[in-house]
Amino acid sequence: MLNHKLLEVENLKKYYPITGGLFARQIGEVKAVDGVSFYIKEGETLGLAGESGCGKSTLGRTILRLEEPTEGEITYQGINITKLTKKELRGLRKQIQIIFQDPQSSLDPRMTANQSIGEALLIHGMRDDQERAKRVAEILERVGLESRHAWRYPHEFSSGQRQRIGIGRALAVNPKLIIADEPVSALDVSIQAQILNLMLDLQKEFGLAYLFIAHDLSVIRQVSHRVAIMYLGKIVELAEKGEIFQKPLHPYTEALLSAIPNIRQKKKTRILLPGSVPSPLNPPPGCRFHTRCHRVLPICDKEEPPLKDIGEGHLVACHLY
Amino acid sequence: MTDVILRIRNLRTYFFTRRGIVKAVDGVDFDLGKSECLCLVGESGCGKTVTALSILSLIDSPPGRIVGGEIYYNNLNLLECPPDQIRRIRGKEIAMIFQDAQSALNPVFTIGDQVVEQVKLHLGTTTREAKEKAISLLEEVGIPTPEKVANYYPHQLSGGMRQRAMIAMSLSCDPQILIADEPTTAVDVTVKAQIMDIFNQLKNTRQMSLLFITHELSIVSEIGDRILVMYGGRVAETTTVSELLNNPKHPYTASLIKCLPDITQVRDRLETIPGTVPSLIDPPGGCLFHPRCDKALPICREEKPPPVTITNGHTVFCHLYSRKGEMG
Amino acid sequence: MTNRFKNIKHIARKVGMVKNLAFIAVMALLGVVLLLDIFVVEKIFGLLVYLYIVLGTLFILYGIPSLYASRRLIKYYWQRASRNRLAVGGLAFILFLILLAIIGPLFTTDPTAANFEEKNLPPVGFTLEESVYDIKTGQFTTHRITGTGEHPVGTDDKGRDLLAMIISGAGVSLQVGLFATGIAIALGTLIGVTAAYLGGKMDNILMRFTDIMMTFPFFLLLVFIVFIFGPNLVFIVIVIGLTGWTGTARLIRSESLSLRTREFVMASKALGASDNRIILSHLIPNVISLIIVIATLSIPGVILAEAALSFIGLGDPNVASWGMILRAGQQNLDTTWWVAVAPGVMLFLTVLAFNFLGDGLRDAFDPRSNI
Repeated sequence: MLNHKLLEVENLKKYYPITGGLFARQIGEVKAVDGVSFYIKEGETLGLAGESGCGKSTLGRTILRLEEPTEGEITYQGINITKLTKKELRGLRKQIQIIFQDPQSSLDPRMTANQSIGEALLIHGMRDDQERAKRVAEILERVGLESRHAWRYPHEFSSGQRQRIGIGRALAVNPKLIIADEPVSALDVSIQAQILNLMLDLQKEFGLAYLFIAHDLSVIRQVSHRVAIMYLGKIVELAEKGEIFQKPLHPYTEALLSAIPNIRQKKKTRILLPGSVPSPLNPPPGCRFHTRCHRVLPICDKEEPPLKDIGEGHLVACHLY
Repeated sequence: MTDVILRIRNLRTYFFTRRGIVKAVDGVDFDLGKSECLCLVGESGCGKTVTALSILSLIDSPPGRIVGGEIYYNNLNLLECPPDQIRRIRGKEIAMIFQDAQSALNPVFTIGDQVVEQVKLHLGTTTREAKEKAISLLEEVGIPTPEKVANYYPHQLSGGMRQRAMIAMSLSCDPQILIADEPTTAVDVTVKAQIMDIFNQLKNTRQMSLLFITHELSIVSEIGDRILVMYGGRVAETTTVSELLNNPKHPYTASLIKCLPDITQVRDRLETIPGTVPSLIDPPGGCLFHPRCDKALPICREEKPPPVTITNGHTVFCHLYSRKGEMG
Repeated sequence: MTNRFKNIKHIARKVGMVKNLAFIAVMALLGVVLLLDIFVVEKIFGLLVYLYIVLGTLFILYGIPSLYASRRLIKYYWQRASRNRLAVGGLAFILFLILLAIIGPLFTTDPTAANFEEKNLPPVGFTLEESVYDIKTGQFTTHRITGTGEHPVGTDDKGRDLLAMIISGAGVSLQVGLFATGIAIALGTLIGVTAAYLGGKMDNILMRFTDIMMTFPFFLLLVFIVFIFGPNLVFIVIVIGLTGWTGTARLIRSESLSLRTREFVMASKALGASDNRIILSHLIPNVISLIIVIATLSIPGVILAEAALSFIGLGDPNVASWGMILRAGQQNLDTTWWVAVAPGVMLFLTVLAFNFLGDGLRDAFDPRSNI
């Protein structure tokens, strides 16, 4: 496994304007992603964890240019892809792909599995119907489905099977990086395990890198090499998996980890965060987490802490360090 | 175990659809004790929600119908009660909260109004008394500044607050039994923790039995006293929580526990259960789990497994432990 | 075996080209006939026939193959829809009506043939009693006429066979329904999809335009047109179509908007699909079911609109539509009641049939309804 960086994101921001009034003037902004920087190496999985509204899904889509970044730079294999035109982006489409959360809506209900996966091949030049059908059959077998079911419509498959089709579709173009946006959150536990195993196998076989977005930290722990924690549009901590789970530094990470119910530990003392996540329209001044932080310092509501490396690639954005 | 407040025997709820008869609940027995928390656990389609709805006769009929069994609430068979008697019990003595607080709350009434409505309906108090009770309930579930929040509409509250409001509403008449259908499934991890905290508090302060339905085994250890694992509309295993986690007997339970991604340790590959949940219209004969079971015996295909008592309070429905199974 | 498979695929690709060539050939032929019609020979085909040939060719060459390609999906929806007996009944009635309109005229007499000898005949099995005062004798005599099988639904006051008129009226209603709805749906879909896909300013402009059109006084426009051009069915159809698209536009736009944010569209974009491909392969197939439902439920309104216009006198007097017959028959409801009842019953059943079918289709297409 090569060590070079596949994807690098620098100070990425995605703001959504809020319009109001008679003439739809802009009266505010939702700062969904507010200055995020990280990199992913070839063949590695970066887990991105956070609760709803922290901007992780938006981040995933912005990297793919499904949403246009407001500011910042995205570099893929050394090339700045932030400002590429649609035409230029086409080549990129073969390199970075996406898997979605909801098996129900991630497949076109009017297209068979063959057509859904085949579309990927068709867009990138495989016009021969027979060749496509053959390749689709191969892909289906690889993701654990039977090729003879290629003619079925999504409603004829189970959730787990639909998710596999979604993975197959992403794989069809031989990408190097797959953005997995909560790929197992909507599945039952036993199916979750099957899909996670499939993703791990595919990673080994094809040298895939994943940006694995999830809110379930136990799942993140299972698949990631490094983990980033997001809160209200910013990364608050990023480190190797072992570091984050054994030595969490940011108070939010601590709270998240303590909140996870563990089947083998009965009631433990947990850090309960008061209140709820503030609105991204109006984030708190200074450190965004200070309003709920159990280790808050006086400086926290005045200055925003930068994300700094405190040693061995462990990054934290907190005034405590 | 203390007194039993809810006793269910051989409950069968079927749905009569054009494609066939869906045996959503097919012969379920269990007891719920006073002040006990029983967790009903299983994956989607196992029948846990339908069981809960059957207790309160909330099954959509047609196409569903409770075709057999008995549900004894304090020696009163709920299945033989006339509708208005059930309505009096519903909400007042047996309350239920649902998974999605957003759709369970009426968007055009304030939270306060909705709780007041419940109180007045069941307890017949004056509006002022009901309002006071509403505020104290909102406080009990940990809503800050309850007098203010009572005047908010559901959409003005965050997800966690809405969930709490729904719990407050269900407690308005001091029910004997609270049925919670997946209350933590649709919320974030930190909110989940808050909600679990509320439930734990309620367990300690009220003498209320809790029937907690969830598909997350990991939550069970926090709140449950006993656990009932369901599969395909039938009971697989039931026992105390610690016994189940340390000594699971049914192959399904054991596999389910192994499937869980563990926060404390990482494995190279996760254990899985091959295959998928069977169709409840055309279920395989015998034990419903046998096509996916790695310990299946020939008899598993033929006969439904009988209940086997492992120890006091630990019952498993599996041929591996029945006399017939032992004979091979 | 693979060789034969390869050959078939080869032919299939050629067929695509063949289809286009066939279409061009047919259109060219038609064009020649049209020119002959105008300049050389006398009226070979009516205007309507040309229209039908064009539409028919389009359907056969392009519609049928794509229907065949998704036959399993269609079968699935048909199974769901056919469980609704009212919908099936409605469909049966509509098919019967279509058959009636096409073959009926071959078996009946000319609806415009006035025959005063046979005027005011009641339907088969009914008897009309009239008291006639003879001035010469000063006596009232009761005059009885019983309907015969020759005129099963009776005749009107000019002796025209009512059955023939009803059958011709069926053809009128169906065609008015087809074309007016066709225009309205086509316009509505075009505007709706465009507004949804372009978004932003264009969306705003198009939707405000739609709002304005919604408030347009359709009735006044019609009176105006009649005043200038005289009552002509073609204009009536066009006006109904041009003013009836607004509801469709709104519905199609909102459905397209929600589809645009659906994950499978995003997945397509992520794969590099062009906007065209997304609209053609994803948006339109998913909107078609909505279009079918809207169309089916719009047709009765259109048919009734035309009937109502004819009833109040704005209709085309040269066309024997149900509305016109109703208009003629309404004055003598106490005596020659069949002249009003027959078209009334037909209108009622037709509207009911389309509504039942539309409801059934809507339920069948809705993934949340558990059929």
